Amino acid sequence: MSAIASSPATVHYREAFARLQPQLGGTASLRVAAMQRFAELGFPGARDEAWKYTSLRRLESRRFVPAAPTTTSVDVPPAFVAQRLVLANGSAAGPVPAAFGGFTLGTLQTAPEDQLLRTFVGGGTERFAALNAALTIGPLLLSTAAGQRSDDVVQLSLVTTGTGPTLASPRIAVRMAPGSRARLLLDHVDDGAHEHFTNAVLDIELGAGAHLTLYRLQRQGERAFHIERIESRVGENACFVLRDSQLGAALARLDTHVSLDGRAAGTEITGVFLADGSRHLDSHVLVDHRAIETTSLQDYRGIAANKGRGVFNGKAIVHAGAQKSNARQVNRNLLLTPGAEIDTKPDLEIYADDVQCSHGTTTGQLDPEALFYLRSRGLSEPEARSALTRAFAGAVMARVDEPVLARHVHDELDRRLVRLLEGSV
Amino acid sequence: MLSIRDLHAQIGVRKILKGVNLEVKPGEVHAIMGPNGSGKSTLASVLAGRAGYEVTKGTAHYLGDDLLALEPEERARRGVFLAFQYPVEIPGVNNAYLLKAALNAVRKQRGLQELDAFEFLALIKDKMKLMQMDESFLSRGVNEGFSGGEKKRNEILQMAVLEPKLALLDETDSGLDIDALRVVATGVNSLRSPERAIVMITHYQRLLDYIEPDFVHVLSDGRILRTGDKSLALELEKRGYDWVKQEASAA
Repeated sequence: MSAIASSPATVHYREAFARLQPQLGGTASLRVAAMQRFAELGFPGARDEAWKYTSLRRLESRRFVPAAPTTTSVDVPPAFVAQRLVLANGSAAGPVPAAFGGFTLGTLQTAPEDQLLRTFVGGGTERFAALNAALTIGPLLLSTAAGQRSDDVVQLSLVTTGTGPTLASPRIAVRMAPGSRARLLLDHVDDGAHEHFTNAVLDIELGAGAHLTLYRLQRQGERAFHIERIESRVGENACFVLRDSQLGAALARLDTHVSLDGRAAGTEITGVFLADGSRHLDSHVLVDHRAIETTSLQDYRGIAANKGRGVFNGKAIVHAGAQKSNARQVNRNLLLTPGAEIDTKPDLEIYADDVQCSHGTTTGQLDPEALFYLRSRGLSEPEARSALTRAFAGAVMARVDEPVLARHVHDELDRRLVRLLEGSV
Repeated sequence: MLSIRDLHAQIGVRKILKGVNLEVKPGEVHAIMGPNGSGKSTLASVLAGRAGYEVTKGTAHYLGDDLLALEPEERARRGVFLAFQYPVEIPGVNNAYLLKAALNAVRKQRGLQELDAFEFLALIKDKMKLMQMDESFLSRGVNEGFSGGEKKRNEILQMAVLEPKLALLDETDSGLDIDALRVVATGVNSLRSPERAIVMITHYQRLLDYIEPDFVHVLSDGRILRTGDKSLALELEKRGYDWVKQEASAA
């Protein structure tokens, strides 16, 4: 390894990687190249446009220990659905079953490495996806057979845990064969015992006519750092749906990149985030329309309160030749208390002439007239504020068509809203 | 029940109420009429506790308590109901939720058990029929996409469900066609009772053909200039508000 970056944090992870490498599976050269890429890019600087509103100074100042393979079992919250697999720091606690709902499971021992340890070019999280590829200990490949359709939701619980501040690098690759259909729930939690750093990667490909719904719940503890990249390539007539609930961690960043590669490929990316306390939640969405008749919808609802800070950056690029495409972006933000902040930036680049694109973004407070209306009917101020805030998130929450998960997110929003509203009035 | 003495209120530096006196007893129906800008809606807003109004002088007592010292929800729970002139659309909060939450808040105050979903549905079914409202309305957002008439009917439905002691109707007749006006009036009349007082604020005499008041007051430039029975409303209809103003300034 040549010495490229001199940042103490980068040096720390390179050294940790060198110590851990004998325990990591896969071809060493792939891992080394990924580590090299991370070292080249290093942590983002203050002038990095992709990190304009999110400082990683705190994260960079910590020295997390990359997780080593372990077999100790961990405590996890109850499952939302019948079929669930628990991954501790990215690797399965026990033997990996061969099948999981409609998916076949593959590991570094059984699946092609180039599918499991890919890096991605571009975006603010390229560095972290590379770091993940270097350090991930139990990457899983979930694949479907052509035409295999399953409506059951299967859950992956990703737990970050350790006896000291730990870096977990979970990585899930999903390969949807043509005409297949699946629903996957991703639940991010941690043990709350230490300040952990979760650096996750989802690498998704949908063949022609395939359909994947990914429910994502990030509910890590108050001290957690969380960075995640969802990379998705969507083939002809295929559709990738993401229902995101970004509720936890002290600092979280999610980059979702969807490339609509085939004719009439589509995506729906909807989510809600709640930046209360002193939470910092940053969501970046980028959709590339690369073929004709492709469609995308981005709809995020952000709520911030107290010293919480939200960032939403949604972008759609309609490339030359992607005629008759339709790109819609909506981002609505609610500031519940003074001092909270949400920075939002809708962005649209169009290089085709026969397209329909729209974007709308709003940031505001609860409507005082609506508040008064509810109070004049006998609802207390916290009740009224909570009802209006739930209504605000409701349009997006209504799309979460997994009832147990939806109930949980509703209750969690309720619980936290009532707590913070009662505290503030 | 409601006793208003020398009430002065303003928005910012603009003085709107300039010494209102009004006594309302249980069982009575009062109509407050007056030209635009006379302070009618301000009076309703101040009594219901809307923010943005400063009471600079005078008092309003409700059942012996200082009404103006209570939070809006506290007034509602003790039996004061304001039917809004412009009911607010609240997408995402459904009518059933609001009705149930409001009813249970009032019941709790009265020392009654909260209603469960079945009891609640049984209770509102009749009231909805009375207001000619379809059951599908319950799952819709509060006033969301309602026509003007539907919004006003919804206000009266809420009132019928909450059974207030003191109902303030702020221009409930505005924007209603004759059929909707009849439905609204039927709803209001069904709530007339010896224990309940109703104060209707209106610009036109028309509403009073359907809901007969015991007293009619003319509010002008922030003061009640004249009080009479329902014949005063008819006289106003014929002679306009200027007549009252002139008489008042002559006196």
